[in-house]
Amino acid sequence: MKHLKLYSIPIAYMLVYVVAILVTGVWLFLLSQGLGSADMMQTLTYVITFPEPKSLHNFIEVATPHIFAMGTLIFVVAHFMLFSTNISQRFSLRVSVLLFVVALLNIVAYLAIIFGLVVSGWVKLVTLVVFVLLFLLLLGMVAFSL
Amino acid sequence: MKFLVTKDLQHSTLLGNLMAGVSVALFFYLVLDVVLHGYVLGFDFSSMTDTLYGNAEEFIEPILIDSLLLQVHIDLFMSLFSIMIIASVYIRLYSSQKRTKILVHTLFILGLLAPLLLIVAYFTSVPFLYGWVAVFLLGHLLGMFMSLGIIQKLLRK
Repeated sequence: MKHLKLYSIPIAYMLVYVVAILVTGVWLFLLSQGLGSADMMQTLTYVITFPEPKSLHNFIEVATPHIFAMGTLIFVVAHFMLFSTNISQRFSLRVSVLLFVVALLNIVAYLAIIFGLVVSGWVKLVTLVVFVLLFLLLLGMVAFSL
Repeated sequence: MKFLVTKDLQHSTLLGNLMAGVSVALFFYLVLDVVLHGYVLGFDFSSMTDTLYGNAEEFIEPILIDSLLLQVHIDLFMSLFSIMIIASVYIRLYSSQKRTKILVHTLFILGLLAPLLLIVAYFTSVPFLYGWVAVFLLGHLLGMFMSLGIIQKLLRK
């Protein structure tokens, strides 16, 4: 089946697209926290000490498309690990499930800030960093399996 | 994608019809996406430059980077899915043709380059905006062409 080899082209480009989506997503988050008027370190400090206040309406507006998009994207990228002969299915399963959990935590983190359960924005920042790193690991696994 | 690869088209009219259906939907999506970007950024160069850089004489403020970046973020997501589907079905049907590889590469490169050029145009100058218009339209036209190719091949079976 000659076309099987050709399928590695869309998969390889998908990895680049996902990295671009992650970069623009993080950039958008930092802009919403004041990156436009402060430098990176100031913005990160600002996120931890005093995260930008959001209404429940704002939260739902951001969370709704992200729950759909992040879930779909993780599924689409992770399902390519079914074809992998280099990495065990067990390890792929652990990474994928962890990624789903961290993605959900990252989305609902702001809810904890809105309801005053946490004052600091470190929860959002930590889940964001872990999510990006885990997603990069998954992308690396797919790239290694190509 | 696994389903697309393993299922035998000769014995599954359902799969053939599903592929044709999704290609029709994606063809219209690509047409409407061009119109949508026209509404957001402008249908001619003058209104595009006004949107991106503002116009002091007409008291038009430039678009906020947050709004533009959000559009780019959404564009990348939508492009990824639409191009992945078109490319996968196209490969399934035209794997024997030499130009398939080139078309798929070109479609993905144009789809990725367009949002990046828009961001570069915002921070730099008008020539990149011309580049964005060219790349954006070429990418969409190529997507439409490949969708039509898929539909034509499936209808002839």
